[in-house]
Amino acid sequence: MKTREQRDLFPGALEMMILRTLKRQPLHGYALAQHIKRTSNDLLQIEEGSLYPALQRLLKEELLKAEWGISSTNRRVRIYKLTAAGAKHLEHEVSRFEKMLDGITRVLAPGES
Amino acid sequence: MSWLKQLFVRRRLYGDLSEEIREHLEEKIEQLVAGGTSRKEAAAAARREFGNVMLVEEDSREVWRWPSAEDFLVDLRYGLRLLRKNFGSTVAVVITLALGIGMNTTVFGFVNALLLRPPVGVKAPNKLLELWLHIRSSSSSDGYLPLTYPDYLYYRDHNQSFDGMLAFDGDPHSIIWNRSGEGQIVQAQLVSGNFFSLLGVNAVLGRTFSVEDDQVESPQPVVVLGHAFWQQRFDSDPSIVGKGLLLNGANYRVVGVASAGFAGLEAGIEPDVWAPVTMVERITGDKGRLNNWHGHWLFAVGRLKDNASARGARAELGVLARQIEQAQPDQNRKLDGIVFPATLVPGPYRGYVSAFTGLLMGVFALLLFIASANAASFLLARATGRTREMAIRSALGAGRGRLIRQLLVESTLLSGLAGCAGLVLAYWVAPLLLTLKPASLPITLRLPVDWRVLIFTVLISLVTGLAFGITPALRSAKVQVAPILKDEGQSASYRKSQLRSVLITGQTATCAVLLVGATLCVKSFRNARLIDPGFDTQHVAVATLTPEVLGYREPQVRAFYEQLSEHIRALPGVSSASFVSHLPLGAAREQTVVTRGIRSTSDQDKLSVDVLRIAPNYFRTMGIPLLRGRDFTAREDAELRGAAIINETLARRLSPNRDPVGQRIAVAGEKVNTEIIGVVKTGKYRTLGEDAIPAIFLPQLPPRRTLVVRTAGDPASMLGLIRREIQIVDSNMAATELETIRQYMALPLFPARTTGLLLGASGILALALTCIGLFGVISYIVSQRTHEIGVRIALGARPRDVLKLVVRHGLFLTATGLAVGLGVAFGAAHLLLSLLYGISPTDPGTFAGVALLLCTVALLACYVPARRATHVDPTVALRYE
Repeated sequence: MKTREQRDLFPGALEMMILRTLKRQPLHGYALAQHIKRTSNDLLQIEEGSLYPALQRLLKEELLKAEWGISSTNRRVRIYKLTAAGAKHLEHEVSRFEKMLDGITRVLAPGES
Repeated sequence: MSWLKQLFVRRRLYGDLSEEIREHLEEKIEQLVAGGTSRKEAAAAARREFGNVMLVEEDSREVWRWPSAEDFLVDLRYGLRLLRKNFGSTVAVVITLALGIGMNTTVFGFVNALLLRPPVGVKAPNKLLELWLHIRSSSSSDGYLPLTYPDYLYYRDHNQSFDGMLAFDGDPHSIIWNRSGEGQIVQAQLVSGNFFSLLGVNAVLGRTFSVEDDQVESPQPVVVLGHAFWQQRFDSDPSIVGKGLLLNGANYRVVGVASAGFAGLEAGIEPDVWAPVTMVERITGDKGRLNNWHGHWLFAVGRLKDNASARGARAELGVLARQIEQAQPDQNRKLDGIVFPATLVPGPYRGYVSAFTGLLMGVFALLLFIASANAASFLLARATGRTREMAIRSALGAGRGRLIRQLLVESTLLSGLAGCAGLVLAYWVAPLLLTLKPASLPITLRLPVDWRVLIFTVLISLVTGLAFGITPALRSAKVQVAPILKDEGQSASYRKSQLRSVLITGQTATCAVLLVGATLCVKSFRNARLIDPGFDTQHVAVATLTPEVLGYREPQVRAFYEQLSEHIRALPGVSSASFVSHLPLGAAREQTVVTRGIRSTSDQDKLSVDVLRIAPNYFRTMGIPLLRGRDFTAREDAELRGAAIINETLARRLSPNRDPVGQRIAVAGEKVNTEIIGVVKTGKYRTLGEDAIPAIFLPQLPPRRTLVVRTAGDPASMLGLIRREIQIVDSNMAATELETIRQYMALPLFPARTTGLLLGASGILALALTCIGLFGVISYIVSQRTHEIGVRIALGARPRDVLKLVVRHGLFLTATGLAVGLGVAFGAAHLLLSLLYGISPTDPGTFAGVALLLCTVALLACYVPARRATHVDPTVALRYE
């Protein structure tokens, strides 16, 4: 049941996307969901709700911090910010992901053996 | 964030989370509404895109928790609430299970005390090995002998496997302590000089023994006191060391007090004092014990060296045994050296103890099974009432595993409560069982509730809870949400009642097995009590006297007994008194060989017989009928020509057709030319269950005798007087076993009585539990079939038909269980063979009786719910649809 939110992704992908999005600017949950949806061109079918357990995990590991604030639409929202540890973690994860992707691409590439 | 801080901020975190999610949904809805959707549709779309709000919240919170532990606590709280809600049935189930668990814990308490618990106060007890001699030609289960003193010395001084080897007298001695002119009995154990040092037991006062105390040439009259003895009899006198004790007429110096709790290496025996083993001849008056290769009396225990193994030690002892054999060719020894891990019950006897406790464990495990089946039945019935609850939980996102876990927590909660109650029960029952032991046995058994007993109880409770909970849990968790929520849940419950039928069949079968065992043992106990031991078991008082240990010589012994005899006979209410070398059916035994015709050397004329040595009037005092001839007279003992009285069995063997009185026989070890002067009725001599044994009564008595007194009234009221008279005749003397013959008979009846009581109790409990179970199942089935019965009645079924319908179902279940149970009992009953008196393990009456009893009880258990079924009102039953 814990893995339900990662049905279509590999483990850690959602976290990585969250960190990457928040690196650019602090956002609240709804905006974050919309942003990920929009930028991925709706290719990634994720339930909006699945964002929250992931956010909690990142909060717990202190890669993010959250503060209550007021959104542009004048709502009381919790705005998530990347911490220094979060930035470092993102860097590490991205490089790991790129290496993996590189490997996969080489294997999948036709003809060059 | 530390876990402690997490714990405190968690409540706020959860609140934040809920608010955040609410805001998320609101924002989404607003946006959709702004885009032109209706509010209602927007709300639905927002929820759809968000997913399961409840689950998201749950999953998000889970990040902050230790999920399994906290779910467990939640389940526990919920379970407790449920139990409180169904208080009555909870109590019933807990009591049922507590009986099963408690009885198992009780028996385990005995197993622990006898077989598992190491001796108290001993350093590294797992390094200790017991040494036994084994007759080569006998099987591995018998033929064990303790060591002789020369054996002990040889093994002690020649082995390489042990850091040291100690020895002690396996039979503690009841010795007379002359305490300022008054005789008291104390238990003494003879131990080797290295006994305390090798066990690592220290003295709280003074010192323990050293090897110097224990020299054969110059044994020291010194004693170490047991801690409890010192506390109780000397009021913890701190200046006791160096004082003298007058034991068996000789002065012993107290050198120390052993540490608290230490009671030697044998279960049931707590010596008051310890003395050096080389003092044995002085204490028992038995000369030559220390260089005798035939007197096997020493239990030896060695402490294994760190680099040695038990297997290596065993091999080495085998070699040493051969060496002894070669060194002592004239002793004709065929003995091997064997080791056992040292526990409180000597190695060769462990098999019997485990067989008996194993039997009891088996019996009570069956009882626990019946109790568990009741609990399972109860849970299954409750599960039916909770199908909707399970369906709703499942619909809200609880997985199958989560549901099963919750249900198992509930069932183990029940069994856990039962385990606690069972522990209390065991604490209360175990000492009660100890009172079954004959009062005359100087045995004190400690039954501590230690960690082994606790772990056993916890484990058995857990296993029980899981065992009876798993099937109901699996069933309940297999919910089909839609039909149940739509109220179509009828089909699922039928299978549950089927399962309960299987359970009740198993219960009935188990109950039948236990009832057969119980009936056999109770009948056997009744038989044993009815067995005529051949003497009066009502109006006799007995007392054992040991003047020889006070160092009395023949004239003193004679004078003492003559005076005592006069004093006792002069007591009011005493009709006669006499002496016997040892009472029949006790531990002591003497045998000899009688030869028909004085000079015959033919083996055919030789007969092995039991010997009892008696004073005149023994038969009258014990109520044994003299069939022919006459009793001994006071002069017989002194006469040159031997005289003997024989029992009927021996008379028939010696000369089937002639009157034996006046015939002459040769008795081995006695004056030749013994004349038979009388014949008495055959009694029981060794065990109550024995076939007729030939016995001979001779007039010469040893110094150690048992006084038998025939009383007009209750002999119990005479015991005080007898004790006083003994003191008056000789203030140094004390009787070791002063009791009524009824109390004495507790010893030979002990096995039959114990098994009769325990198995009888288990049978009654099993019957009661099965009856409750059957009642529950039939009631349940009736309630499930209310609808069907209503239809039947509406279609014209008469009450009698309904009654028959229900009772038939119950009886069918009972009969099936009964058939299985009786079959199993028939196969297993031979396990009881050695415990039964005068009844065959496959006694047809018992089997028929059990069948009848179970059927009757089943009929009653079915009748009440069946009556209720006949009162089903068809209109009410059908209105539901």
